Amino acid sequence: MRKRLIAIIALIVLGSMMIFASPAKEKSAETSGPIELKFWSLFTGGDGEFFNAMIDEFNASQNEIHMTNDMVRFDDYYTRLTTALAAGTAPDVIVLHQARLINYVPSGTLLALDEYISDDMLSDFQSAPLEACRMDGQLYAIPFDVHPIVMYSNKALLEEAGVSEIPQTAEEFLAAAEAVKEKTGQWGSLIDNTTGTYKAYTLTRLFVSLVNQQGGSMLTDDLSAAAFNNEYGYNALVNLQMLVNEAGVNPNELDYDAAMNMFKLGEGAFYFNGVWATGTLEQTEGLEFIASPLPPFMGKSAAWTDSHTFAIPVQKNQDPVKVEAAIKFIDWMTANAHLWAKAGNIPTRTSVLEGAAFNELPYRADYAAAVSSVIPNPPTAAWGEIYETLSDLLESAVTKNEDPATALNNMENTVNEIISHY
Amino acid sequence: MIPGNKDTRDGILFSLPFMIVFALFMIYPLVFGFYISFFQWNILGTPKFIALQNYLDLLKDERFWSSLWHTLQFVLMTTPVLLILGFIMALLVTGKSPLKGIMETCFFVPYIFSMTVVATLWAWIMQKDFGIINQILRILGKDGVSWLTSEKNAMWSISIATYWWTAGFNMVLFTAGIKQISKEIYESATVDGAGPLQQIFHITIPLLKPTTILCLILQVIASFNVFGQVYVMTGGGPAGSTRVLVQYIYETGFNYFRMGYSAAMSYVLFLIIMVISVVQYAILGRRND
Repeated sequence: MRKRLIAIIALIVLGSMMIFASPAKEKSAETSGPIELKFWSLFTGGDGEFFNAMIDEFNASQNEIHMTNDMVRFDDYYTRLTTALAAGTAPDVIVLHQARLINYVPSGTLLALDEYISDDMLSDFQSAPLEACRMDGQLYAIPFDVHPIVMYSNKALLEEAGVSEIPQTAEEFLAAAEAVKEKTGQWGSLIDNTTGTYKAYTLTRLFVSLVNQQGGSMLTDDLSAAAFNNEYGYNALVNLQMLVNEAGVNPNELDYDAAMNMFKLGEGAFYFNGVWATGTLEQTEGLEFIASPLPPFMGKSAAWTDSHTFAIPVQKNQDPVKVEAAIKFIDWMTANAHLWAKAGNIPTRTSVLEGAAFNELPYRADYAAAVSSVIPNPPTAAWGEIYETLSDLLESAVTKNEDPATALNNMENTVNEIISHY
Repeated sequence: MIPGNKDTRDGILFSLPFMIVFALFMIYPLVFGFYISFFQWNILGTPKFIALQNYLDLLKDERFWSSLWHTLQFVLMTTPVLLILGFIMALLVTGKSPLKGIMETCFFVPYIFSMTVVATLWAWIMQKDFGIINQILRILGKDGVSWLTSEKNAMWSISIATYWWTAGFNMVLFTAGIKQISKEIYESATVDGAGPLQQIFHITIPLLKPTTILCLILQVIASFNVFGQVYVMTGGGPAGSTRVLVQYIYETGFNYFRMGYSAAMSYVLFLIIMVISVVQYAILGRRND
């Protein structure tokens, strides 16, 4: 009995020694081995595999820094990030959408990067995406990519329908879509318009683009109210409604995943999505498509866009060694963004955009030009909620073919109410 | 207290581990949530005191009222059906059927799955274009149904998934209730010539009243708190037509980081559930005595 007791105690002691021994091991590794950095990624879609491959390649390319990548489900990413920032447990480097910067910079949770980054590195960046990361003159993030909405066209269907040119105006687009429907029996366009895995974001992205193409904007210049309840908004909405309802060239109650699948299966001629879809579409066997910048359907070129950026959270005891390592990581990732362009995204550094590796990829060079006509996201903390809510309201307006004037009034009132809360 | 008896001290000591966790993760958030509902706060910044503004705002917030209405719809769609289904299942598994063991397992198994599993499963089954139900309908030459993408059907589809998932729990409660009814009552009823249906309506149902009240109150509370199924199956869509209150609370709190407003809505929901439960208990419970 006593022997057994001793054995048990010995086991417990041994066990606890093992438990306490392991962190000590890690500590010693930190001082002698490579600098350990932690990163949280939100890339879980088609782009995830390209991103993970880049991290692996970064780790293999040098032995000074080791980056650990922790994938967070996209839906939960910002929830987790915000709570971690509030609790002071954020990782060393994070990825943020440019549109979200405004939610984090004012509270001082992101490190201002100006003093850490060399002028050489900065001058390599395209000015539009870089300036979008500045607030009150200070740089809070480094743009990794730009991902505007583009138009994908199915080559075979267009050929069969006798459409030889990519349509450039709303009228041409409708004519092409109708020709496809008539001659091939497939859908003319595949704009997702209902909530599935995602909300009907494509409707919002197109609405934003179409309003801007006419010279309008979503919010007033001082960001204090909605500015789309006018002729511009009306034309944009009526056009989106018409494709589904009067013209019947776009399926109703189509969700994001279904739209993507139908385009892959050749069941529709035109498909709209962010450039991130390119990589996935390329891997689809038997699908021949063209990716082009969003055509200037309603006047000038303008396309909704967002941008993935890297930022460094402010830590309680910021370790300058880790900050320096994080900058090196960001430098490497942006300088090798031709790997990221495989997923479809547009790089932000001149050296990459002009480099051979990027220009060898199909389509990318064509729509890289679209970067010059991207629409900046309104810099207000309310934009996230506005964007989500407009997706619901546009879904309702398009799928139920609501009276456009009433729908726009409702959208305006809702947006103004949202703004009043921030 | 007996001299030398250390019951009180030991009692406190033994319940301390639980009490600490309880206070830290239940009491503190409860009090803090109420406190923060009078502030405008985005988690990262400094809270700004705005007194009752959050509560006044929600009176005017169309999305708050529509979410509350959707929640109420869900409560009305699920509660009666789940009670009746649970009761029928309980009758089947307490009856004389040789299959009752298998039935009990089949009825209860869905309940042990996590919400995410159940909701994902049903979302795929009911997918409009490639879900299995619509595939079968098409094979039979019928048109597919927009289970989750039409405003008319979406809440019913979520309810159907919920029936499948949670009816088994009510079955367990009803089964326990039925087993407590003395066999002698049934025997004497049989002797008096009462048929099975008469026995159910005149013996089982009246004697099950306490269980029914318990099930009803639990079910109403559970249905008011619905979130997961909706969030996974429709994301509140189409066009926000299935967005329920808990989802709206979650979105304002953890997507838009309007913590004060989110907390204010939580307390309104809390009040609604409390009032309904008290009223239910007062009306149904009193007659029972």
